[in-house]
Amino acid sequence: MPAWGLKVGSLLTTVLVLAGSYGYAAAHIKNPDAPLQPPVADKPAATAAPAATSTPLPSLVGIRRGNPPRSTAAPAPLLNLTPGVQATALPAITFTHVS
Amino acid sequence: MDPQLLVWIVARAMGLAAYIALCIAVLSGIALRTAVLDWLAKNRAMRALHDWTTWLWIPLGSLHVLALLLDKTAQIGLADLVLPFRVEYGSLAIGLGTLSLDLLIVITVTSWLRRRMNDELWRWIHRTSYLMFVLLFVHALLSGTDFNAPLISAVSWSAAGGIALLATSRIVLGRLPQ
Repeated sequence: MPAWGLKVGSLLTTVLVLAGSYGYAAAHIKNPDAPLQPPVADKPAATAAPAATSTPLPSLVGIRRGNPPRSTAAPAPLLNLTPGVQATALPAITFTHVS
Repeated sequence: MDPQLLVWIVARAMGLAAYIALCIAVLSGIALRTAVLDWLAKNRAMRALHDWTTWLWIPLGSLHVLALLLDKTAQIGLADLVLPFRVEYGSLAIGLGTLSLDLLIVITVTSWLRRRMNDELWRWIHRTSYLMFVLLFVHALLSGTDFNAPLISAVSWSAAGGIALLATSRIVLGRLPQ
């Protein structure tokens, strides 16, 4: 066999192994039987707590006839949501009821 | 795809491909001295293959090492590429890989400088390729994530078995008759 034949053969063999092993590794990302387990692999994956978001409280001052809502010098207090509470894009709740 | 996941997959794939390329390099090198593969090609062609394989395993091995450097889970630093047995986990398995890399660098650089070197010294340095391959194989065996997969295992062990057979025949019998 000529030298170029051997070179092409070795190149093809290597590329074939590269493609096959890439496909295998991509399909088997984690191997629990792998002989080497880095320390972090033993720990459960840390679940990042969702960041608490602060949204301004809606004004609880009712709108009365002839009595426009009083302006407040201080900004509305911030509401700190606990990690389990999800903020939504819904419009803020306001009192419109007049008693 | 998560970049960390990508470097992890690349490290594994490049490691296996570099291992096969090195197997071809060692096999063709031994074949030059044993005449066992003379049925496949003449010595001149085999020598050309042996030289050519350098350009196969250097990029693959370099990418294997680079991907492991970038992989945060692997926790391998620049110094670990040269100094063996420094990684906190799998010290032996990774350290053997470092040792084989060090030997590989020495063997390759001295081959490039062969004309400027004493021939006997170069020959002895080049003979450490056998030791380098043993270290590499044990490194792959002890740390290879995919080495226990049936097909990969079959290919890897077959290649190593072929090299062991040829190396033994070379050591015991010298240059075999054609």
